[in-house]
Amino acid sequence: MEVFLQTLVAGILKGGLYGLIGIGMTLIMGVMGIINLAHGQLMMIAMYITYSLFQFLGIDPYVSLLISMPALFLLGMAIQKYTLNPLLEVESILPENQVLMTVGIGMVLTEIIRFAFGSDYKSVQTSYSTSTFFIGEISFSLALTVAFFIAVVFTILMFWFLLKTDMGRCIRATAQDKDAALLMGVNSKRITIITFGLGSALVAAAGSLLIPIYYLFPDIGGPFTRKAFVITILGGLGSTVGAILGGLTLGLAESFGATYIGMAFDDMIGLIIFILVLLFIPGGFKRLTKI
Amino acid sequence: MKKYLPLILLILLIIFPLIGRDDYHRHLMILVLMWVVIGTGWNIIAGCTGQVSFGASAFFGVGAYTAGLFSFKLGLSPWWGLAVSGLVCMALAFPFGWISFRLRGPYFALVTLALGEILRHIATVWESLTGGMVGILIVQTYVSKVPYYYMVLALAILSVVGVKVIMGTKWGYYFLSIREDQDAAESLGINTQFYKMLSLNISAFITGMVGALYMVYMGFIDPKVVFSLHDISIMAILVGIVGGVGTIYGPVVGAFIMVGLQEFFRTGFFGLFKWLGAVTDAQAVKVAAKYVSEAHVLGFGILVVLVILYLPNGIVGDWGKIIGAFIPRRKKEVQR
Amino acid sequence: MRKRALLMSLIFCLMGILAGGALAQDKVKVGVILPLTGELAKFGEIERKSFILGVDEINAAGGVNGKKIELIIEDTGGKPDVGRSAVEKLISQDKVIVIGGGYSSSETWAAVAVSQQHKIPFLVNTGSADNITEQKWEYIFRLSPPVSEYPQAVQSFLTKVGDVKNVAIIYENTLFGQSGAKDFAAQCDKAGFKVILKEGYESGAVDFKPLLIKVKSAKPDLIYMISYIMDASLLMRQSKELNINPKLFIGGAAGFTLPEFKKNAGDATEYVYSATLWTPSIPYPGAKAYFDKFQAKYNSTTEYHGAEAYACIYVIADALKRAKSLTPGDVREAMAQTDMMTAFGPVKFISYGKMTQQNKLPTFLVQWQKGKLETVWPENVSTAKYIYPVPPWSKR
Repeated sequence: MEVFLQTLVAGILKGGLYGLIGIGMTLIMGVMGIINLAHGQLMMIAMYITYSLFQFLGIDPYVSLLISMPALFLLGMAIQKYTLNPLLEVESILPENQVLMTVGIGMVLTEIIRFAFGSDYKSVQTSYSTSTFFIGEISFSLALTVAFFIAVVFTILMFWFLLKTDMGRCIRATAQDKDAALLMGVNSKRITIITFGLGSALVAAAGSLLIPIYYLFPDIGGPFTRKAFVITILGGLGSTVGAILGGLTLGLAESFGATYIGMAFDDMIGLIIFILVLLFIPGGFKRLTKI
Repeated sequence: MKKYLPLILLILLIIFPLIGRDDYHRHLMILVLMWVVIGTGWNIIAGCTGQVSFGASAFFGVGAYTAGLFSFKLGLSPWWGLAVSGLVCMALAFPFGWISFRLRGPYFALVTLALGEILRHIATVWESLTGGMVGILIVQTYVSKVPYYYMVLALAILSVVGVKVIMGTKWGYYFLSIREDQDAAESLGINTQFYKMLSLNISAFITGMVGALYMVYMGFIDPKVVFSLHDISIMAILVGIVGGVGTIYGPVVGAFIMVGLQEFFRTGFFGLFKWLGAVTDAQAVKVAAKYVSEAHVLGFGILVVLVILYLPNGIVGDWGKIIGAFIPRRKKEVQR
Repeated sequence: MRKRALLMSLIFCLMGILAGGALAQDKVKVGVILPLTGELAKFGEIERKSFILGVDEINAAGGVNGKKIELIIEDTGGKPDVGRSAVEKLISQDKVIVIGGGYSSSETWAAVAVSQQHKIPFLVNTGSADNITEQKWEYIFRLSPPVSEYPQAVQSFLTKVGDVKNVAIIYENTLFGQSGAKDFAAQCDKAGFKVILKEGYESGAVDFKPLLIKVKSAKPDLIYMISYIMDASLLMRQSKELNINPKLFIGGAAGFTLPEFKKNAGDATEYVYSATLWTPSIPYPGAKAYFDKFQAKYNSTTEYHGAEAYACIYVIADALKRAKSLTPGDVREAMAQTDMMTAFGPVKFISYGKMTQQNKLPTFLVQWQKGKLETVWPENVSTAKYIYPVPPWSKR
């Protein structure tokens, strides 16, 4: 029983963080219809920003959320404006050019960081990095629990933003039908730029929250990109609630897979779920939750 | 002139081992030709049929492991593995395509990516079959590089000419119609599922063959090397994009450029920086030399971004555009 | 346009000629292949610095019979095909007479095969796959022990001291982890320990708790882990969080001896044992001096890979000094006769088992005690008495 409960808790806490990574991706995929294969790399950039702030200025990772998120918001907007939007006007054979472009951007971001920081492992040791508390026999990592709740708060905020504000409505309209939104007077180019910025800022939050319990090096982005698209497909494009559910599902699947099948399979389990969902529930959880 | 260019290149390639007696250059040429084959394999499914694949590593790896396992598990010569590797890859491509071709565009791309990664995990975890990360090691059959060179050259010619022939037939036009508009193709009565499958199988066959050749030539494989997302699948895409998506000779040009660039950066602009450092003895040059060798992936990344932005159809596809930029304007006016 | 092209090609030709001619004649060229880009770059960089540190000392002391050693270091990116390009270039373009280096087993294998074909001696200093020296290749030598011999000291320690019955093995899915785990499991079977859990993981996991909770419920006496720094730190930190109390934790070389491990895992490192090939505190002449010199010169810390590289260049220089002439054949003869002491330990190339021209080194067991790494086994070289069994987390 202890094994089961501990696995459950580990899966849920990790799932919350995955959800936060997934929301950013799902917004971008929903609005632009492209897969952002540089998503993990954007998170890596945010983690390096957080690391530098801690290392050189002594700013706590949670406080540096206030810096890393706006910074990534700007970076994301710049990427969309100067590299992805121009592609819409370029004549090319493959419509997937934007996806391939994100691969190139990911490479550039990784290598710039390698240039600046080297490929060593870095980590941030805060006073609460190894803190745990116990409920019964079950241990909770303090940093992961905090990350989980912040992730939930961000999801609720995003949900409210998309549902209630003008900008949110414009984003949803563009996601549903770009041409129709354009006809209704939505500046869809501007919307895509803001969406990419928002998506980047959200993944930046995930990066800053992850740093106290994890470590970083330039190649850390790739695995998280993979997790992000698995979560997005699980949750359904453009669905924030779906992303949280997708994140939780992936977190739980990995945890239970690791406990009851084998730790070596946890990546594989995610990918297999991904293929199954794509083939059998193409809309993801969005089909079930409708939001 | 332009018509004979491929022929001249072919003759140069055939007599290359007689001119370049240097094993280093022969090795580089073998790598280039391998990438010609992988790039062509990617190009037929992605460039010609429009199904962008991130899964070149899946077929490359399976081909390499077929050859490796023939010697590792069956105790036979790996050359037998080379003979059947293409077929083994087709045996994988068939069910895979059957399942995943209902997906389109980016979703298909993601599934191919997942396939390569899953196979890498399987090869890593299934130690009793593949030896896991310990890898498979065989002793090369020939000391000389010449036999390998001609084998990979033959495969490269076979694949490039094969694709050229196919693209000239009815099949080729069906492939193109699927790329341009799958629904329209379907409504015209083209069995899109069948032709996509055909394209994937051709791609899998040649990619698997070159994977097996890699095994017999290099003598060592492990899951990380042959199922590498970055070093195989993405590199294959880069070769395709830089050379020219959907063109016959694009992957040839792309392979020369990518392998050439890798070596160019690796050796610090072919020793230029080292020479400068030795002559001037300046610290700045030495530091620059160090950064240059570190920057080759960055160079690749920037190249990709620039090519997609400015030459979306690659060097071969946008050749007219490149020429136009260099040749003075009045010539253009004459053409008009 | 055409003129400019002509000019450009002329300049390039000139550069090529000059680059070739600039190399001086009174130097002995030694090639080195290392991964200086890509994922393995951080280790390749430590080895590169150690090679340079060593060669500068040798040249300052008069070089090889008056001639200076010129190192030509080529990057492999950790990839076998590029590694092969690098060796082909070293042999046919730079005309080196001996080659060292080789970090990952895959690049090393691709490289030594070429070296053997061209009959150029190659001294492997890190690539640890057993079969590299099992081919009866007379031009290939290896300084570092093969991966299967890493846990020797653990074995003798356990049989003589411990009352261990159940063993859990956790390892990363790499060449080093998989073969190390397999060898250790086989040794446990031979010694009569029961392996109750043996599980690999993919390096880079965020959360090891699902795996560790399984270990905890299996109640092993010994947890043996083969992991690199960051996974090692997370494993120990989370073992502490989950309150797992075996009689002892042992790390199988790799990450458990490095200063970063202490930095990242904090007090969770206390009492952790690790097998190791080399630490600055082992009693080889020059070991500590090498560590200090490295730190002074580069302002960063080094580890056993660096020591291997540092010893490698000394062994090469020694062989060059003793060689009858500076030809690959004579250097090979001289290297086969090597019998010297280095900062990495005694070097002598012998044949045993299936191996040929393999250097046989003892391995050590170290333990973190009060934040310091102490050598505890074998007892004749120990710097502190081992602490066994390890106290449970709650009583620390």
